[in-house]
Parts: sequence; structure tokens; C-alpha cells
Amino acid sequence: MGRAATTLLLFGALAHTFVIGMQTMEVRFNPVASTSRAVSTFVWLLTLSYLYLELTTDERAMGVFILPVIVALQVIPVVFPGMANSDPVLNSAWFWVHVSSLLFAYASFALAGALGLTYMLQFKEIKKKHLGYLYTRLPSLQILDVMNWRAVTVGWLFLTVGVVVGVVWTAQARVIAPNDPNLQAMSLDDPKILGAIVTWAVYSFAMFARTTLGWTGRRAAWLSALGFAIILLNFLPVNYFVTTSHTFQ
Amino acid sequence: MHLFLLGVSHKTAPVDLRERLDFSSGDLGAAVEMLAAKPAAAESIVLSTCNRSEIYLASEDAGRARQEAIEFLSGFHQLPQDAFVPHIFTFEDAAVAQHLFRVAAGLDSLVVGEPQILGQVKDAFHAASQRHCAGPLLTKLFNWSFAVGKRVRTETGLGEGAVSISFAAVALARKIFGRLQGRRVLVIGAGEISTLTAQHLRSHGVADIAITNRTAANAHALAETVGGRAVPWTERMTALGSADIVVTATGAQRPILTREQVERVRKRGNPLFIIDVAVPRDVEPSVGDIEQVFLYNVDDLQSVVEENLSRRAAEITRAEGIVADEVARFTAWRRSRAAVPTIVALRQRFDAIRRSELQRLDGKLTSLPPEARARVDEVTRLIVEKLLIEPTEQLKALPDEETQVAYTEALNRVFRLREEESREEDEESAEQARRE
Repeated sequence: MGRAATTLLLFGALAHTFVIGMQTMEVRFNPVASTSRAVSTFVWLLTLSYLYLELTTDERAMGVFILPVIVALQVIPVVFPGMANSDPVLNSAWFWVHVSSLLFAYASFALAGALGLTYMLQFKEIKKKHLGYLYTRLPSLQILDVMNWRAVTVGWLFLTVGVVVGVVWTAQARVIAPNDPNLQAMSLDDPKILGAIVTWAVYSFAMFARTTLGWTGRRAAWLSALGFAIILLNFLPVNYFVTTSHTFQ
Repeated sequence: MHLFLLGVSHKTAPVDLRERLDFSSGDLGAAVEMLAAKPAAAESIVLSTCNRSEIYLASEDAGRARQEAIEFLSGFHQLPQDAFVPHIFTFEDAAVAQHLFRVAAGLDSLVVGEPQILGQVKDAFHAASQRHCAGPLLTKLFNWSFAVGKRVRTETGLGEGAVSISFAAVALARKIFGRLQGRRVLVIGAGEISTLTAQHLRSHGVADIAITNRTAANAHALAETVGGRAVPWTERMTALGSADIVVTATGAQRPILTREQVERVRKRGNPLFIIDVAVPRDVEPSVGDIEQVFLYNVDDLQSVVEENLSRRAAEITRAEGIVADEVARFTAWRRSRAAVPTIVALRQRFDAIRRSELQRLDGKLTSLPPEARARVDEVTRLIVEKLLIEPTEQLKALPDEETQVAYTEALNRVFRLREEESREEDEESAEQARRE
């Protein structure tokens, strides 16, 4: 049963790889330039990261939390394909590095969030001495905590790279296209940028708290769940409903 | 050939009698060989655990097998027959399969679902098989039982969850820490449960077991039993500071670990699992409120065990269903084997008719070229074979023994199979008579 589910997910991920590959190679379509395509790429990265986790640890229980996120997010690119071509400003290697590092960071944080959620459920059962359905099926607290720590570390590194590249690239692009309204709007009071900074602050604190304050286990789990909630907020409603410096027409 | 089983188990015999009938302490192989030497025992296997001694036989005569099994038990263990005969149970044929399948699945065990029994059944089979005592029927039966045991374990939750306090404690430790390699254990005080728990933890590869006791000699004694090191009572708090798992079992009337003490020596962030098996309790309940401290007392562990036991009990019906299913399949297999003599006789009869007809036509066929004659032979053979395919299948798949007897009888009469057999028998006896 579990093995069949993994195989199915693997095939899904392969098909997704093919679609993204075809769009990029044949249609000369940047896989991350519109929100819907970015969501699709994010889902793809998250699926690959999760598959890596599942195949290396042989723990399938977290799929219960990850797969609903994957399916729900993939609905967006299915409903709004968003294939229109984009702003010429975006034809830059910097842009590609900027978006893909951030997407990879978000995929790691999504995993960390799911691991954190799992940790909290497992923690509660053991602490309250109600060893129920989840107890027999979830991995140990230690494994969940270590995997959460790894996912947050990887995510934080890519988030940092993504933000730094964004800043550098904005500075360069302003020289090339001084009148671009988006580039002029790139500042800290922009909701999208503010969201990214808040995210970075939350995960930096999580890193700091774990290494120096001893915030492991449940506190670390809470922080990673909170961080991913902020990311989702910044990624979806802000992208679709609020006009920001990152809204490229 | 009949299957026959005679034995005693924890359900039929008191422990002292089971001990006297036990084979597991001695040489099981020698016992099987001695049993196999009995004339009625065509195939034999002896299964012996602390809860049962069972003799499995394949024999043409179940009544004689029973008598010989009793003689064997009495002779091997130097026990008068009256001492154990009132406590034995016996089974024949399908009931033997059902009993063995239930045993292999752990359904007949004292603690339902315990995992050791399947290994013991395998050992019993290998001991007999190495000495060529097992034979084809018992080999089939025992191999079938291994598959049943495995199927019950994978398809039901019969063996899931710890059912003793010390195992429940170790299972919890593994849920908190994952692998226990490299973990440090502190045992405060001594007692049966704490000793067992320490031993289980040791077998899971913990790095260090520190043992402390108000009486230093007791600490040293326990350290020797479980392979740990004794720590002076005055240094117990230092040891607590570096421990991941603590087992407390002192006879103290008041808590020996307070929240304040634990908080003082703990590094923040590292989980601590405290197993308090002392009554009255050794650890203040509020210690369990500390973040990252998991405190279980003996009642908590007992309720985990009871929950696991009731979960196992809920799986019994499903496991019994699997056993019944497999017994039915095993019986069907045996029935299909029982049909073989009739099928063989039927084939011989048909082939004999074919040959005699070919012989009769031999004169007319001589004018044909050799290829054509070979073709005629081939075609007639194929016709006979095709005619027999369906009857063969049907005979192997008859639903019960009664039907099988009726069909065999009908075929014997319709094709005069019995007559030929008896004629052969007559010839044999005539020959014997001549020799005499």
C-alpha cells in the first residue's frame, strides 16, 4: 500500500518534471516568471524533496501532511495556467537564481513545517500519555527534530541567497532600466519584500534559538510551523490580490 | 496417510508436568530420532517450548500412532503413563493443521501474539528435517504454518505493541530518542522491573548504564547483572545531569527527585525520559511538566500495556479468520493429493484401451508410411489426454471428503478401476501363496 503510494508519487513527479522541462525547452517559457508557474515549480521541488526524505528514511507517515499541501497548491497552476510572456526586465540569470533559490527555500520550509506539525502531535501523545493511532505510525521525536533542523538550515541558506541576489540584481537592473515602475517600488515598505524579511527574521531566530537558547523539540517545531504560515500568506494572497513591486505584467 | 498430534500445553497441564515433559533443555534431535524409530511413525516432529511439548506424526494408523507417542513420552522422560495421560490433548488430520497454524500465529500462546513461537516452530522443524524425520507431509504442513504465522503478523495487529511494562518502557524510549545507541541510562534503586528494563535497554545498544543505590553493594550487584557501572549515591545528581533515560525503583517513602532538583541539573533542550516504577512514587509528578521531560510511572506503563493487550484481543478474530482460511486451503491441497491414485488409475485405464486398439489395428496400419503411423499414435494420445484434462481438474478440486469418496466410488465402478486393482491384488496374493 505505502510502496504503491510512493511509486504513484514518483510517477507524478516524473510527469511534472517532463511538463516543466517541455515548457522551458520548447516554448522558451521561463518556468518561474508568473506566480502560477512559480507555484507549479514550487510544488515540483517540494515533491522531489519529500520523495528524497521518504526514500532515504523509509518513513511515510509525513505524507499525510505534505501531500494535501502539494495537491492544494497544484490546483492553482491547473486553474490559472498563466502562460503569458513576461516583462523583458526578467530576462536575466540573476532573476532565475533569485526565484529558484527562494522556491527551494520555501519547499524546505514546507517540509520543516510538516515535520514540526508531526512533532507536535507525537509530542502531545507521549507527554499526555495517550498513545493512540499516530503513536504507532509516526517516526520518533528525535528523528523528526533532526530532520526539522536540517530542513530549516537548508531553507535558511537558500532564503538568504535568494534575498541577497534579489537586492544585488535590483541595483543592477535600476541602472539598465531606470524608469521601470517595479524597480522603483522595490523597498522595505513593499508588502512582498516586507513579508520576505519577516520570514527571514523568523527563521534566523529559529536558528539562533536552537543553537544558543536550547530551543529544540516542540519550540523549534512551533517556529517552523509559524514560519511556513507566513510564507504561505506571502506567497499566495499577496501575489494574487495585492499589487506589489513583484507584480510583473 | 493421517496427520496426528499429541501434546500438553499451558492450557491442559500444570507447569511442573510441562517441565518434566520438556524437550527444549536436552537434545531435541535425539528425541526426534527415537520417536521416528517407532513403527507407526512414518514422519515425526517434536515441538517443545516452555509452554508446550507437542508430537506431530504422519501415520497410516492414528490409533497406533497415539499409543506409540504415549510410550515414547513415557520412555524418554522416565514418567509413568498415568502421570501425564489425563493432561494430553490429541488431534487428527485437519484439526492438526488448525492447531499448528494457531500455534505458529501466536494465537495459542500464553501472551497472545508473542513473536518467539514462530522461531521455535521453525527450530522444531529443522531439528527433525536435518535428521530426515520430517517427511513430505509434515514438511508441507510446517512450511505452510510458517507462511500462516507470517501472514497473521503482517495482516493483523496481533503482535503489535509491548505487552510487558519493561518492553513498553523501551518502546516509549525508542519513540522519544529513535535509535538508543549512544544514549545514557541512570538506574536509581533496584527491583525486578528496573532490572528487566535496564537489560532491554542494554540489548538496544545504550552507551552507558549508571546504577546507584543507597546500599552500594546492591548497586554493584545490579551493575554486574546488567553490564553497567555503579555510581555512589551522593553523585546521583551529577549522573542525572548527563542521563537521557532514568529508571527509578527505590523503596523511599517520599519523592527522591523533585522538580527543582531536576531543573537544576538538566541542560536545556535535551529530552529526558523518566521511568518511575517505584510504589510509592520516586519522582514528583510536577517533574513531568518540565518542557522536554517525559515522566511515566508504573500505572501509566500498565495502562499502555493494557491498551496494547486489548488492541491485540481485537485482532484475534481476524487472525482466527486467516487460520480458518489457511486450514481450508491446506485441506483442499490434501484432498487434491488424495485424488491422485484415482487419477493415475483412470489414466492407465484409458491408455490401456488406446494401446489395445492400436494393436488391434496394427495389421491395417502397416501399409502406411512411418510418419503417418507416428501421427496416428500421437493423435490418439492427444485425444486421451484432452478427454482427461477436465476430469483431473475436477477431481482435484472436490469440495469435501464425502463427495470425494462418492466420486471415487463412482469412477471405480464406471471405469472398472477397482476391479483391475483387486485383480492385481489377487495375483499378488496368489503369487505369495505359490511362494509359500
